[in-house]
Amino acid sequence: MEYLVSLAVLVGIYVILSASFNLIIGFGGLISIAHPIFFALGAYTTGLLAIHFELNPFLSVFAGGAVAFCSSVMLSLPSLRISGDYLLITSIGFQLGMLEVIKHLGFTGGASGLGNIPNVVSGSLRSAVFAVASCVIAAAVVWVIRWLLTGPYGRVISAMRDDELAFSALGRNAMMIKLALFAIGSGFAGVAGGIYAYYYQYISPDQFEILQSAMLLTMVVVGGMGSHVGPVVGAVLLLLLPQAISFLNLPPSVMAPLQGVIFTTLVIVFLFWRPQGLVAPSQHTTSKEV
Amino acid sequence: MSALISLKDVCKSFGGIVVADHISIDIQRGEILGLIGPNGAGKTSLFNLISGLFPVDSGTISVAGTPLDRLPLYQRARLGVARTWQHMRLFSSMSVLENLLVAPSNYPGEQIYQIIFRNKQTKTADIAIRDRAMGILKRMQLESIAHTNVNDITFGQQKLVGLARALMNDGECLLLDEPMAGVEGNAYETMKTIVREEAAAGRAVCVVEHNVSFIKDLCNSAVFMASGKILERGSVETLLSSKTLADLYFGA
Repeated sequence: MEYLVSLAVLVGIYVILSASFNLIIGFGGLISIAHPIFFALGAYTTGLLAIHFELNPFLSVFAGGAVAFCSSVMLSLPSLRISGDYLLITSIGFQLGMLEVIKHLGFTGGASGLGNIPNVVSGSLRSAVFAVASCVIAAAVVWVIRWLLTGPYGRVISAMRDDELAFSALGRNAMMIKLALFAIGSGFAGVAGGIYAYYYQYISPDQFEILQSAMLLTMVVVGGMGSHVGPVVGAVLLLLLPQAISFLNLPPSVMAPLQGVIFTTLVIVFLFWRPQGLVAPSQHTTSKEV
Repeated sequence: MSALISLKDVCKSFGGIVVADHISIDIQRGEILGLIGPNGAGKTSLFNLISGLFPVDSGTISVAGTPLDRLPLYQRARLGVARTWQHMRLFSSMSVLENLLVAPSNYPGEQIYQIIFRNKQTKTADIAIRDRAMGILKRMQLESIAHTNVNDITFGQQKLVGLARALMNDGECLLLDEPMAGVEGNAYETMKTIVREEAAAGRAVCVVEHNVSFIKDLCNSAVFMASGKILERGSVETLLSSKTLADLYFGA
């Protein structure tokens, strides 16, 4: 039971991550894979505030989101000039670079990670409290993204994604939209990081490596890019799948690489046979309502 | 009367290729100017220079007296440069109506704060825009396909949607890049009527077009371009009756 509840915490965290990542790459068409670094910035900010200032947990999770929100500018600024493959490459560089910074700073605990994050919920219901909190926040994040994108704002984002040049030639300012999408998506990732830090009480740079990017990308692609329910389905599926394999009792030396193989295979299979993902985005999301 | 859109001594080259060689053009409100010439003459490049895809090397482009130099694409559009594209560039995941809805200069809800803090006003303004867009579609007899995805309509209809989107954009300078290429029948007549009506309503229109009869029917005057230079300007008949120009255009 405890095992299922702790899985539910992770499901909540990953739904936040994949839904916010989908906002950037699925809806915005901004191909970045650096999402885990904003997850990391949120986690580290929350962890450090909790350790050194014993800040109220709600405030420090919020601060984690705020730091991720603001630092997204470092990635969205280059995206104003470049897009597509070039943005992808820039984002990889950004992620690796930031991770190196975290690994070499003293106060982040360096490569060995940041431990001793205070426990804010004790008792036998600890995991249950976190599970409820993370799932409620996840539901709120999915709802907020959906609310933002239905109607006029969603329409301009689709137009920008379809043809940025024609979009700008109509007098629409693509720059503001890109900044906003990156900021909101990254801010939510930061919040997920905050919950993560409090729940595990230990964070280290290797939890936010490229493998994490691959996992989030798989969740979004398999679930359905540009659909609201897609990333939720993708996150749940990809968290349950490795658990299902773990019942096979394979040795750890086989298990770890096997997970990587599964993620990659899934992405390739889906890109070939069902590029729209399990839940295809609806075509005219903005023209029917009102 | 001063010109609505005015190009003075505009030059542009890409490496050794000169696409605009001291181009000066004035277009008045109500005027429909034809831009003709062989492929590669620099006609579309001139549109790209006006709308701001790339900066001029020298010279000035101004709209209603305001110089556009160094302004980005979207700000030029806000000052009144509306255009269509040779290859339409419609928003492919969207319906015909939605393509028009994103175009108005006073679009409600382009910024996220408008959605968060002024949700009600934004929704009301959105409904008004919807009515306007349906009005334009009606003029073009496209209202029956308003909710169809733009990939699922005919080529001629796509060209009309491109024009409709540019009209929705409110810009007083209308640059039409080959509006007639591949358009026949009803769409052809509709296109002609609409362009005429828009000019009469006070827009300055410039048309790049290979369809000579369309230019003849529509344009008050025309400019003949080749290799980035203006070779001649005058009435369409005069230009087309000149043997040198006809040789250049149709190949000697």
